[in-house]
Amino acid sequence: MASSEPANGRGPANGSPLIRAEGIWKIFGRNAERVIGTPDANLSRAELRAKTGCVAAVRDVSFDVFPGEVFVVMGLSGSGKSTLVRTLIRLIEPTAGRVEIDGRDVTAADRDELLQLRRHTSSMVFQHFGLLAHRTVLDNVAFGLEVQGVSKSERHARAASVLSLVGLEDAANQFPSELSGGMQQRVGLARAFAVDPKVMLYDEPFSALDPLIRRDMQDEVIRLQHETGKTMVFITHDLPEALRLGDRIAIMRDGRIVQLGTPEDLVGSPADDYVSNFVRDIPRSHVLTLRWIMRPPAAGEEDGPRLDVTTTVRSAVPVIAASERPCCAVDGGRVVGVVDKDAVLAAIAGEDA
Amino acid sequence: MAAPTVAAPVALALEHRPWWRSRPTLAALIVAAMVICYLTLSRTLTWPNALVWHSLTHYLDNIQNWLAAESDKSSPNIVYRVIHGISSVVDALVRWLYHLLSRWLTWPATTALGTLVALRFGGRRAALIMLASFAAFGALGLWDDSMQTLALMLVAVALSLLVGVPLGILAGRSNRVDRLLTPMLDAAQIIPAFAYLMPVVIFFSVGPAAAVITTMVYSVPPAVRITALGIRGVPANTVEAATAFGATSRQLLWKVQLPLARRMLLLSVNQTILFALSMVVIAGLINTEGGLGAPVTNGLNSNPALAILAGAAIVVMAIALDRVTEAIAERTDPARRHLDEQGRRRARLATAAALGSVAVAAAAGHLLSAGSAYTRFTAQAWLLARVQSVLDYVQKPTTFLFKDITNPLGNFIVAHLLQPLDTFLVETPWFVTLVGLTAIAFVLSGLRPAITTAAMFALIGVLGEWRDAMDTFSQVLVATAITVVLGVVLGVLAAESEWVSRVTRPINDVLQTLPQLVYVIPFVYVFPISYVPGLIASVLYAFPVVVRLVERGVRDVAPPAVEAAGAFGATRLQILVKVKIPLARDAIMLGVNQGLIMVLAVVVIAGLVGSGALGYAVAQGLQRGQFGIGVVASLAILAMGIALDRVTRGNRSAGRGGVG
Amino acid sequence: MQGNPQSEEEDRMSKGLRARPVRVVLAAAAVAGLAVLALVGTAAARSTAKKASCGTVTLNEQAWTGSTANTYVAKYVLEKYLGCKVNITDIAEIPVYQAMAQGKVDAVLEDWQHVAQYKQYATKQKTVVLEGSNGLTGHIGWFIPRYLLKKYPEFKTWQGLKGHESVFASPEAPQGMFLGGDPSYEQKDTQLIQALGLNLKHVTVGAETAEVARFSQLIAQKKPVIFYWWTPEYRNTSLDLVEVKLPPRGKSCQDDGSTNAPLADYRCAYASYPLEKVFSAKFVKSGSPAVAVLKRWRWPSNADQNMVSSWIAGQHMDPAKAAQKYVQSHMSLVNKWLGK
Repeated sequence: MASSEPANGRGPANGSPLIRAEGIWKIFGRNAERVIGTPDANLSRAELRAKTGCVAAVRDVSFDVFPGEVFVVMGLSGSGKSTLVRTLIRLIEPTAGRVEIDGRDVTAADRDELLQLRRHTSSMVFQHFGLLAHRTVLDNVAFGLEVQGVSKSERHARAASVLSLVGLEDAANQFPSELSGGMQQRVGLARAFAVDPKVMLYDEPFSALDPLIRRDMQDEVIRLQHETGKTMVFITHDLPEALRLGDRIAIMRDGRIVQLGTPEDLVGSPADDYVSNFVRDIPRSHVLTLRWIMRPPAAGEEDGPRLDVTTTVRSAVPVIAASERPCCAVDGGRVVGVVDKDAVLAAIAGEDA
Repeated sequence: MAAPTVAAPVALALEHRPWWRSRPTLAALIVAAMVICYLTLSRTLTWPNALVWHSLTHYLDNIQNWLAAESDKSSPNIVYRVIHGISSVVDALVRWLYHLLSRWLTWPATTALGTLVALRFGGRRAALIMLASFAAFGALGLWDDSMQTLALMLVAVALSLLVGVPLGILAGRSNRVDRLLTPMLDAAQIIPAFAYLMPVVIFFSVGPAAAVITTMVYSVPPAVRITALGIRGVPANTVEAATAFGATSRQLLWKVQLPLARRMLLLSVNQTILFALSMVVIAGLINTEGGLGAPVTNGLNSNPALAILAGAAIVVMAIALDRVTEAIAERTDPARRHLDEQGRRRARLATAAALGSVAVAAAAGHLLSAGSAYTRFTAQAWLLARVQSVLDYVQKPTTFLFKDITNPLGNFIVAHLLQPLDTFLVETPWFVTLVGLTAIAFVLSGLRPAITTAAMFALIGVLGEWRDAMDTFSQVLVATAITVVLGVVLGVLAAESEWVSRVTRPINDVLQTLPQLVYVIPFVYVFPISYVPGLIASVLYAFPVVVRLVERGVRDVAPPAVEAAGAFGATRLQILVKVKIPLARDAIMLGVNQGLIMVLAVVVIAGLVGSGALGYAVAQGLQRGQFGIGVVASLAILAMGIALDRVTRGNRSAGRGGVG
Repeated sequence: MQGNPQSEEEDRMSKGLRARPVRVVLAAAAVAGLAVLALVGTAAARSTAKKASCGTVTLNEQAWTGSTANTYVAKYVLEKYLGCKVNITDIAEIPVYQAMAQGKVDAVLEDWQHVAQYKQYATKQKTVVLEGSNGLTGHIGWFIPRYLLKKYPEFKTWQGLKGHESVFASPEAPQGMFLGGDPSYEQKDTQLIQALGLNLKHVTVGAETAEVARFSQLIAQKKPVIFYWWTPEYRNTSLDLVEVKLPPRGKSCQDDGSTNAPLADYRCAYASYPLEKVFSAKFVKSGSPAVAVLKRWRWPSNADQNMVSSWIAGQHMDPAKAAQKYVQSHMSLVNKWLGK
């Protein structure tokens, strides 16, 4: 089981978790509930299927998501990540486990409560957009509000303002079939924002787009997140994307979380061979911060240039290279460590190891 | 997702078997074994009398008598009262509509109404089609009959959609409902109408209501099935997205599923219309206002040319209604309409103007007593003469067509193909046939279809219909084989070539709605051997469905696969044979299955032109008032249909479990 | 439109206001027009109905030419001489009893011994009334074309068929084919063939039209054929058919093959019987003048109906015209029907 304690960054300081997932299991097949709690549950996927005909998609996953953070779930196809995000709002019913969003028990909610949750508390962006082909862009964006029963003029007004947020105000009267993939996903984004949710779920939203557009969309999401401060659960199979967007990342494999931590945790201290294989091609200096390569300051070393402890190694290189003295890593005004050229070189050299 | 049945592993494993263990070879071996038994064992071992439920027909007759007596009571029970109520309402509705179209509006105004409505809502082409069809009714001299049939059909189609579309929505959203409904729908389409005409008469009396009910039994299933298909065809992503945003079931249905299933809903309207119109003649047998069915039924004996003209009118009506509803649906598609305020106002004025013109035309018609004027100027006499001369040619045995082509061909088919197969099936000892058929079913489709086959054929024996059923079975096999070959070939051609597709569509429509007896009787003259006309009737009725399904399947093969093959330098023919047809296998199998059902649906008609056996027995049941005999024969047909349907449906792949 | 938003608003409103009355007027006119038409239509219908003291009579036309002849001759007489309005329905033979029971059909002018229906509707329920013969004698039998007798004079009786069955060979029956009849007719030929010990195969060719197609095709080729047929039928003369003599009738003679009687009971010729007129009890009680006329209506002989049938089916004459031709050439007979 992976740790759900954040290594750094946002944590209990930001308050209690907005989403709590405890012991989520999802097994497909007849008599799925009977598999949980038995030793069968720990069989590999192929063995379990051969023995019981069931497929275990999510095994005993627990995590917390704190307000305002971007929580990324990453894994290859078949790892269970898309299933997991759907269990959070019960688009797929979990076989076992408990989900709590905004203090309310989702797994035990009745139909009306679930409806309220989906309408007001959460919204979702989908990989294949999920737009309504027979409606204009404006009507698509307003769909969430329409389902809530908001009047036509009001929801059109709100949809129009959200459209300008994503820069598509000119396309309001077009149909989805007339838009490119990137624009369609922007409509999907706008639709998700229009209902002003507390939690936003993203299911591999950019996998169907080409790489250049993907980068623009990632920037868009980062920008929107900064502007609105929404809590996001983001699913992806693309590691660079996860590292760019995520405050904390959970790597899934075969239904379980293999490691949960900040980008540096993953890159700096991968939990096992699987994770280290994953992060192998990531240039460590782009992700690791000074915290990872600093050493306790010796006497008299506290007069070098000061850099925040969260500065990435890469950004720190120019400063360290230009300075004679070792740099001081500063956290909240206090010097917590020292970084010299050797440490930097070792970190960069270690990238190709 | 269900645990895999025994069938699935067998099927998967067989895919990789060497050819001498493949399914067709195994089936052929079983047939060979049966032939050996036939040649060596006694020929008179038909189904043993001891295993027949003889008194079933008596029970059924008694039930009918009891129902008739109950219905005749002066104070019938609540069920009858409700049914009488429904019957009166429908009667009144149809009659009111007929009077509106025929008497109150007079023919100029009716024509104007039809044309202008089509113009306003469907566009110019639709209006022209309407105008042409009304002109045809008038020219054929069958205006009154056509209006009777039109009124009846409008009510029948409307009620069928009213019942069928909601059921289809339910079946589309719930697997359980789907599984419950499918066998009932199959039964409704296989059980011959002749079998239930008398009970319908007992409950609904004779008249338009009875005709509507009889029609609905046949035209509700396509409405249900295709609507369900449409609902299921809405992309799962879109449904999921709407659910994620908190849409209720009802919001999901109205805002997402129905709008996106529009094309399929239109197809279901189209098929409902065609199926309804194919019942005009049979429904006319129990209707006091038989419409176009009357000249067909009577004409067969006294005036075949008139029967053909009436049949043509039925086809014209079917095609016109179908094309016009399609045009209206295209035009009113909300995704295509961009009406601004001014456009909307203009549209409303247009509607008002149309209604106004109709009123003016009606007034003019009454003042000028247009009704009597038209009856003097029809082309019926001229048309009758032309058709009659063709019939006279067909009926002469000295023509080249008959002497050198059709007569020898028919004799050959019967003597060397149908008769031997028939004798083989009828005279092989019953247990050999039963076991053999079960074994073939197992080899082809797995355990469950095999059990069904065994049960169904045993039931046929118990009903006492073994001999007749084997007779019918041999003809159904041959008819289906020809239908599938013809249908697949034409379907593939239609998928590859636009003009073939455009030509086959109206042909399909005609063959589906033209009353079979009308065009088959000439075949009896030309192929005067008992089995052949029935065979022709079955093939002509069934192959359009196969063509349509195969065409759709081959067209829908994923373009990437085709592209990839092309990129490897495959020729068009190679792509067709190696990529498209294998990938369209599901559609082709569905075509086989549906072709079979259609062949079974016309067993009675085939029986009336020489195929005898079960079809004849069903007709006898109705026309001699022997309810029991008719029902028993129908049950045998149904049992055969169920067995063959399960075998030809093949194994469905187990449901997907979405993971990751 | 230029101008400030306020005047635009007013413009739109006034346009709308002006358009609305126009639409309302047109719609009202259309509705009013339709209502007027409905009233006119029904009034006209009622007024014509008042003229006829006889009212509407509904006769059922069955699916054979003889029945067409019956119905149209009766219709011509009732309409021309009694001022009735005659509707003709085309309901199948068995369901029409239910229709008569409910008064939807008034009379059937030719019925071929539907004994079970007589029992149920006439005797038990008393909703229909049997009104006696329509002047025709129906008889079913085995028929062959006359030219066959030239080569095989022994075919005059059934004994002559023995040993010569292969004369009637066909592709589906190499041993000799017997053409069976329409499913709606009473038949016992399978049992009769077996009882007589003949080696013929009974082949069902389907409905009457199909049977006619089959044997007329063979006759046109001057080939041998033996088949189930009956009188009165106009083709008997036009195709020159003769009947094969079957064993004489006894007491226990059976004609219906579907009742599983002992084989010996089938070993006899078919019966001859008068063809019944069947009226709805409601019609009889209604006291309409048509009742008496139809009670008296009958054909003088089989030949008369055959004549009219051959005009209709053989010469393709319009049934109404054929009826008119017959009536106008048989006025004395018609007067007898009218009671004059």
